[in-house]
Amino acid sequence: MFYRQAAIRHTSYDQTKKLYPIPFDKWLVVAVLLVALLAPFMMSGLYLNSYLLPWVIWSTAALSLNLLMGYAGQIHLGYAAVMAIGAYSSVHAMRLGVPFEFALILGGATAMIIGVGFGFTALRVKGLYLAISTLAVQYLVDWVLTHVPAIGGGTQATLQTPTPALLGFEITTDIGRYYLAFGWCALVTIFMLNVKRTGLGRALIAVREKDYAASVLGVNSYYYKLIAFAVSSFFGGVTGAILAFTFFGAVTPEQYSIDISIQILAMVVVGGLGSVLGSFFGAGFILLAPLFLNNMVTGMAEAYDFGVSRSILSHIPLILYGGLIMLFLLFEPLGLAKIYDNIRKYFLVWPFGFSRR
Amino acid sequence: MFKKQLLTLMPAVLLIFAGNAIAAKEPIKFGLTLDYTKAYVFATPSFGQAIEDYVKYVNMKGGIDGHPIELLNSDHGNEPQRGIEAYERKKREGAIAFEHLSTPVSKAVLPKAMNDKVVMMQMLTGRADAADGEVFPYIFPVSPTYWAMAANIIQYIAESVDDIKKAKVAFTYLDYPFGQEPIPIYKALSEELGFELKLFPISLPGTDQSGVWSNIRRFKPDYVISWSFAQLHNIAMTEMKRNRIPVDKYISVIWISKNDLKSYGFEKAKGVKRVEGVVTGTDSPIVQDILKTLYDTGQGSGPRENVGLLYYMAAFTEMVTVVEGMRLGLEKYGAPLTSEKLKMGLESLKGFDAKGLMAPITITPADHQGGGQTRIAEWDGSEWVPQSDWNAAYSDLVWRVIKEHSTKYKSGQ
Repeated sequence: MFYRQAAIRHTSYDQTKKLYPIPFDKWLVVAVLLVALLAPFMMSGLYLNSYLLPWVIWSTAALSLNLLMGYAGQIHLGYAAVMAIGAYSSVHAMRLGVPFEFALILGGATAMIIGVGFGFTALRVKGLYLAISTLAVQYLVDWVLTHVPAIGGGTQATLQTPTPALLGFEITTDIGRYYLAFGWCALVTIFMLNVKRTGLGRALIAVREKDYAASVLGVNSYYYKLIAFAVSSFFGGVTGAILAFTFFGAVTPEQYSIDISIQILAMVVVGGLGSVLGSFFGAGFILLAPLFLNNMVTGMAEAYDFGVSRSILSHIPLILYGGLIMLFLLFEPLGLAKIYDNIRKYFLVWPFGFSRR
Repeated sequence: MFKKQLLTLMPAVLLIFAGNAIAAKEPIKFGLTLDYTKAYVFATPSFGQAIEDYVKYVNMKGGIDGHPIELLNSDHGNEPQRGIEAYERKKREGAIAFEHLSTPVSKAVLPKAMNDKVVMMQMLTGRADAADGEVFPYIFPVSPTYWAMAANIIQYIAESVDDIKKAKVAFTYLDYPFGQEPIPIYKALSEELGFELKLFPISLPGTDQSGVWSNIRRFKPDYVISWSFAQLHNIAMTEMKRNRIPVDKYISVIWISKNDLKSYGFEKAKGVKRVEGVVTGTDSPIVQDILKTLYDTGQGSGPRENVGLLYYMAAFTEMVTVVEGMRLGLEKYGAPLTSEKLKMGLESLKGFDAKGLMAPITITPADHQGGGQTRIAEWDGSEWVPQSDWNAAYSDLVWRVIKEHSTKYKSGQ
C-alpha cells in the first residue's frame, strides 16, 4: 500500500542507481521540500527564527561532520572550532570588502586548509587517539580567539556580521535569512546523497571499514582521509559562517565552544552514523528537544503546582532529555535514522508482514 | 428553560466580574531567563530567589500603582540558541525587560534587544561599555562596571601603601574574557601612577593555580588583585598559604561571598578584601522587612540562609532599581508601561540608592552606569567590614576606555 514496489522494473543500470527507486519515497521528499519552502509563510517569527532556522543550520553542520565520521570513519571532537574558523574568516573577509559569496567560499577554504593541517594527524593515529588530537583543534582555536585581538576583536568584542548580499541583493529579512541557510543546507544534502554513488564515496567507505584492506584494493587511504578532512572542513567552515550571518548576527567565541562540538557529535551519533536523514533527525532531537521539554515542564508547573524549587524544576527537562537519548540508543543503537528505516521496512511489505520471516 | 440556563451561567458571570476586580490593572511582565543548570549554578538559585522574593513583596504591597509584576521564568542553560528562543518567546508573551545572567546569552541577545527596543538589565555583569547609553540605549548596567571596580581598587592600594611609585601590584585572573577585561585599566593606571604591574593568567578551569602562585611569590607584590569567582578563591588562598603570602594582600573582584570562604575557614580567611558594589548582610531595613513578611510566614522563594548573601543581594538590588524605574515610568508617562517608558523611567533615576543597598546612582540617557562608586570591604572572620566610603576613582580614565570600546562596537566590532 505505502512504498508500492509493484511495476518497478530495472531495465538499465541508470535506473538501479536512482536515489529513490520507489515513487513513494520520492514524493515524500518532494512533500518535505515543499513544506520547508513554504514554512516561512506559515510560521510565526518565533518558530521560524528560534526553531526552524537553527534546525536547518545545525542539520547542515551535522551533515558535514557525518561525511567525516559516518562515511570516512574519522572521529572529530573539535568540529565547532572548524566552524569558528570559517565564520571568523568570512566575517573578516567581508569587512575588508570581499563580496558575501566569495567571503563564504574564503571562509570555507580557510577552514579547509587548517582542517587538513590537523587532518594529517589522522594519517598517523586512529580511533581514540585521533579523537584527542582533534580535541586540540578546539582548544587552540578557542585560545586564539580570546588572545589574538586581530582575529577575535579583543576580550569583550562581539564582531557583528555585515549584511549578507547575494548577487547584489541585500538579505535583511527573516525569510531571506532562512532561505539562505536553507539553500546551503539543500546543496550539502544533495552532495551527501550523491557522494555515496561516486568513486569518492565508495573509497571513503572502504577506508572506514578497514583502511589496510582498502590499501590492498588499491585505494590510497592516506589520500582519501585527507580528502574527507578537506571536504568536511570546507562544509563546516561555510556552515559556521552561515550560522553567524543568519542566526546570531555576530561572532563570539562562545558560539563555537567545546559544548557545541559535543552537541554536533551527539547529533551525528544519535541521528545515525553515515545517514543523511539521521543528521536531520539528530539535529532536531539534540537541538530542539531541550526547548520543547523545558517549555512543557514549565507549562505543567504553572498549571499544577509541583511544589519544588525552580532550580530542581529546571533540571527535570535535563533528566527527561538524558533518559530519551538512552532510550533511543537502547532501542536502536544505530540511531534515529534506523528507527525510521525499521518503520519504513515494516510498511514496505505491509500488510503482508509475515512474508519477511 | 431560559431561567435555568441563566442560573447556571450566573456563577460564571460572577467569576468574570470578580476576576476583573482582583486584576484591576494589567500586569507588568519581566523576563527572567537564567542558567539554572550549567555554568552559573553557583549563583543562579540565590539570584533568582532574590528577584522572586522582591516581586512577591511588591505585589503584596499592591504592586506598582496597582499594577502587579509578573515574572516570566525560564532556564536557558547558558546556551546562546536557547537564550534566543527564551527571549523571543517571553517577548511575545509581553515581557518589557529582561535579565539573563549569562555572558554567552547576553552577547547573543544584545543585538536583538537593541533592535527590538527591549530593556536588558545587566547589573554587575555583561559588557562594561554598555555604560555608554548613547550607543546602548536599551542596555542598563545601572551599577559600577568592572573597569570602575578595577580603578577603585587601585585607588585603595594607592592610599594604603607608602609610595605608589614603588608599589608592586600582581593581577591574577582567569584567562578568558571575564578575567582579561580589566587589563587595559590596570595598564593605563600603572603608566599614570608609576606602580609596577605584573599579570598572572590562570588557565581554565582554574583548579590548578600552583605554578601561578609560586611566580607571584617571587614577584613579592604589595597587593594581589584577583579576578575569579566562587570556589576558585579557596584554591588561591590555599596556594597563598603554601607560598607564605599573607592573605590580607588579596583583593578580590566582587564575586566572593561568605559561602565561598566556608571551605577555607572563616577564621583563616581573616583579612581578605573585596570590592563591593552592593551592601550584603541582613541588617538593612528592607531586607529585615522581606524576612518578616515573606520568610517568617513561610512564603520565601528559597532557603532563608541565602538572604543577605552576595548573589542574593546583587539581584535584589537590581530588582529594587528596576521596580523604581517602572514606578517612575508609570508616573511620568502613564499606563500601559512599555519598554520605552521603562527606559525613560530608568534614565530619570537621580541619587537612587535602592533603599540603602548601594551607592547612590544617577542615570542619564548618556550614562547608564550611574557613578561607578564602590568600596573596599575586609573579612573580619564573621562578616565583611567596609574599609572606605562609596567612591569612584579615575572616572575620566574609565570613561575614556568605555568610549573607546563603545565606539568600536558602533563601528561593527
